[in-house]
Amino acid sequence: MVDMKNVNVHYSSGVDALVDIDLHINDGEFVFIVGESGAGKSTLMKLMLREIVPSTGRVFVNGRNLSALKGNKIAMFRRTIGVVFQEFRLIQDYTVYENVAFALRVADSSNKTIRQRVPYVLNLVEMGPKAKHKVRELSGGEQQRVAIARALANDPGLLIVDEPTGNLDPKHSYELVGLLKEINRCGTTVVMITHEHNLVRYFGGRIINLDKGSITFDETIGGSDYYEE
Amino acid sequence: MRNNNVSYLVKKGISSVWKNIVMSIASFSILLVSLLQVSITVMFILNANIIMGNIEDTNQIAVFVKDDENETDEQHEKKVAHIRDVLMANENLTDVKYISKEEAAEKWNENMDGEASDLLSMVPGGNPMPETFTVRVTDVKNIRFTVSAIQSIEGVEQVNAPYDFANALVNIRNAFSLIIVAMLVVLILVSIIVISNTIRTSVFARRNEITIMKYVGATNGFIKLPFFVEGCFVGILAGTASWGLTCFVYNSVSSLFGDNLAVWQMFGFFNLIPIETIRLPLLLANCVVGALLGAVGTMISTNKYLKV
Ligand SMILES: Nc1ncnc2c1ncn2[C@@H]1O[C@H](COP(=O)(O)OP(=O)(O)OP(=O)(O)O)[C@@H](O)[C@H]1O
Ligand SMILES: [Mg+2]
Repeated sequence: MVDMKNVNVHYSSGVDALVDIDLHINDGEFVFIVGESGAGKSTLMKLMLREIVPSTGRVFVNGRNLSALKGNKIAMFRRTIGVVFQEFRLIQDYTVYENVAFALRVADSSNKTIRQRVPYVLNLVEMGPKAKHKVRELSGGEQQRVAIARALANDPGLLIVDEPTGNLDPKHSYELVGLLKEINRCGTTVVMITHEHNLVRYFGGRIINLDKGSITFDETIGGSDYYEE
Repeated sequence: MRNNNVSYLVKKGISSVWKNIVMSIASFSILLVSLLQVSITVMFILNANIIMGNIEDTNQIAVFVKDDENETDEQHEKKVAHIRDVLMANENLTDVKYISKEEAAEKWNENMDGEASDLLSMVPGGNPMPETFTVRVTDVKNIRFTVSAIQSIEGVEQVNAPYDFANALVNIRNAFSLIIVAMLVVLILVSIIVISNTIRTSVFARRNEITIMKYVGATNGFIKLPFFVEGCFVGILAGTASWGLTCFVYNSVSSLFGDNLAVWQMFGFFNLIPIETIRLPLLLANCVVGALLGAVGTMISTNKYLKV
């Protein structure tokens, strides 16, 4: 699914955000990416989204060399991955329904597909009853769910979630990861970026730690049955 | 792109015109002024060319016979015969034709599709149409000399040489053309700047949405289409308004011309292009040019501010 070889990202400001990254994520995996603020987590996500290209090295997603994508090929590529941003990036004036429908429309779906798919993904995140509400009327946790529903709208093979629990209390955070795990069980590869170690320890699985732009830890650990707040 | 999504984007673009109403009105107004100027100039030039063509084709001079109430019919006939003789004798003139008051009235009536006879019958003191000779000039270079020669014939009231008018028309047209072209360039540039600013405001208002669109995989065309619709729509609205105003102005001016120059019209010099024949092409041209200007303005903004 994701393959990075010898990747370096050097920002023009002089920061080396990522240094010699070698990373391989298989289809169907669930991966936590952890690390301190400024470690390069979001930069890693931007690479996978092709928001930026590496200064050196190569990034492959679904077998495609992202540096070689140009113009509308980038748009077509992005339709195959779902992204949930830390700040949600929903359209506040639109309803919940319209926000999700929007992603489908952008991907040139038919009206019929939109009518079928939107309620389906909204029910998946339990936001069906609030479909007609404006996004600005929702709580942070609800907006988070809408953002996930939108990311899932085009049935992506890869779902990338950046700091999804930043705005949530612990209880909702655990529920959210539970939901992502559920989505993963249905076949979607999930990459979740977080700095909440407790959460990671509780759920277990593959954990990649970034420190000053380098991978310092990449192992699969077992989960525990209790959680600390 | 699917039809349902194209119509969605078109609606979005049009609704953006209302959301952005102040800027839209600014674009509309400046576009209207530009298009109106182009339309009216084109109409003027087209008609001027036709009139000049007519004048050059006919080469006619109209000689008006003095109307003296105190003279007898015999005296009058003598006077007319004298004028005819002198005109015939002039080597620079050919095709000397006499048009009596009655013939003139008939001819005018014909030109007016029979509507003039009632009008003429209402005039007190009988037929008001002039008694004239028409002559052709063989050598245009001698026109001034010839005209003053005719003027000095006894019993001649007035000489109308359309050549003077033609020259004036050419001069006006040339002078106008320069000023108008210069103004036009300025107006068109200003139009494009105002439109591109309008679209920029729209792009700015929707910047969040655009960023989101990019991340969910919108193509450049998908992102830009509503803005093009917005720009072109304002252009077409301005084109339609300009067309309506041009037709109105043209109608008013041509009826004005028609009244004052009925006599000239009688000789066939003045056949303005009838509005019916140019109404549709004028509408199309206005809308196409309006839409084009809108598209250029949009292209500038979207290329500059959308970086997709
Ligand atoms: N667009 C940019 N231009 C220049 N430098 C940048 C840019 N984006 C990030 N950086 C720098 O690159 C480094 C890594 O940033 P990144 O956003 O990847 O960190 P992060 O791990 O996501 O941090 P956080 O947990 O705070 O979100 C930081 O030092 C940051 O200042
Ligand atoms: Mg980050």
